[in-house]
Amino acid sequence: MTEAPSQRGARLSRRGIERLDLLLLTIEALDLNGGEAMLWTSQQMGLKDRFPNRVELWKRRCHNPLRRSTRREPMDPVDAESLICLVCAMAERLYPMLHQLLSAREPEQLTQARWSLLDERLRDLIEERMNPRRGAVIRLLDPLQSEGLQRQMVSTLALVAGPGGIDRLRATLLDPTP
Amino acid sequence: MLKNTYRYEQTAALLVVEGYPDLSADQANDSIGILSSWRLQLVAAPELEGTREHLEALMAVVMPYARHQLSGVGRRFDTDQGFVVVSPEGDRHQLELRSSRDGVEPLKLLLDDAELCDLVRVLDRVRLDQRIHLSWQLPADQPLARHELVERIPLRRRFGPPLLGGLALAASALVALVLPLPNTELPQPATETSDVKPDAAVSTEDER
Repeated sequence: MTEAPSQRGARLSRRGIERLDLLLLTIEALDLNGGEAMLWTSQQMGLKDRFPNRVELWKRRCHNPLRRSTRREPMDPVDAESLICLVCAMAERLYPMLHQLLSAREPEQLTQARWSLLDERLRDLIEERMNPRRGAVIRLLDPLQSEGLQRQMVSTLALVAGPGGIDRLRATLLDPTP
Repeated sequence: MLKNTYRYEQTAALLVVEGYPDLSADQANDSIGILSSWRLQLVAAPELEGTREHLEALMAVVMPYARHQLSGVGRRFDTDQGFVVVSPEGDRHQLELRSSRDGVEPLKLLLDDAELCDLVRVLDRVRLDQRIHLSWQLPADQPLARHELVERIPLRRRFGPPLLGGLALAASALVALVLPLPNTELPQPATETSDVKPDAAVSTEDER
């Protein structure tokens, strides 16, 4: 089981926060009960003080500038670290599903059906919560570009699943903007 | 001395590690301080085995490769000894393993994304296992340098906008050179007009 953050964390850039929230959104698209599962997992990890309820979790995620209702102040590094640990723990829980989506050994038709289901759910969540005037949101909703972006999200979740993925995910989110 | 064997299984990958506790370092009986051998079984691939040196070489290339994949950078990684090489191959990942024995052909394995993730996860679990007291010489995960990230952007996207901007500027300059300048009339210096009555000044002085 992925444990609660053991270090203070780092201040994420705007791009890092966007990516972190999109990973959480992908988790929600993979798991219909994702919101509740996140809260339950965070409590299992000992993060109850930080995320006591869904509203508090939602408030932390609202630092994403792509959201319809966004918070302007910078994200607390401890919150960012907690969300990184939460993503890794949730990815570990959903790993069998991630594996099925990425595996080339699965039947082609079944894989396509799984991807189209994920696409549908993710699109609904993005339309519901993100600001449709933002360029990044337009790209996420564009059928030509969304396929690659969704695969990138699923691959990221699979590569950071479990406690070993925390450092990798943190380092990725701290990448400079090219 | 008791030999310990630990199995790390993740869907398409199974890693078995064998070794002994280093009793001189006061290690517990269920720990591994001296790694004697390991075996890795990937689906539809021959079983791999080796010593600690080979396992460390495998970790030293697979972990940074996975880290770069997360940032969308696909580049080749190999070790100084050349035991293991990993590189992107289309939408797959090629793992090339060279034996330290002479006359053995290198083994090339093509892994899909899911198999790469399985391999990374089993290696993570060995690395983080509290029972295994080995200091792995692995680079820490760090944010990538800007130049590494720039390389993932296709040339057309990287140089397209500045090239287009330069061409637009050159075209504007050319058009500006060809177009004739409009004739502008220079302002004439102000001339004295007949409105001024010289007698008026004289008359005022006379009045004083």
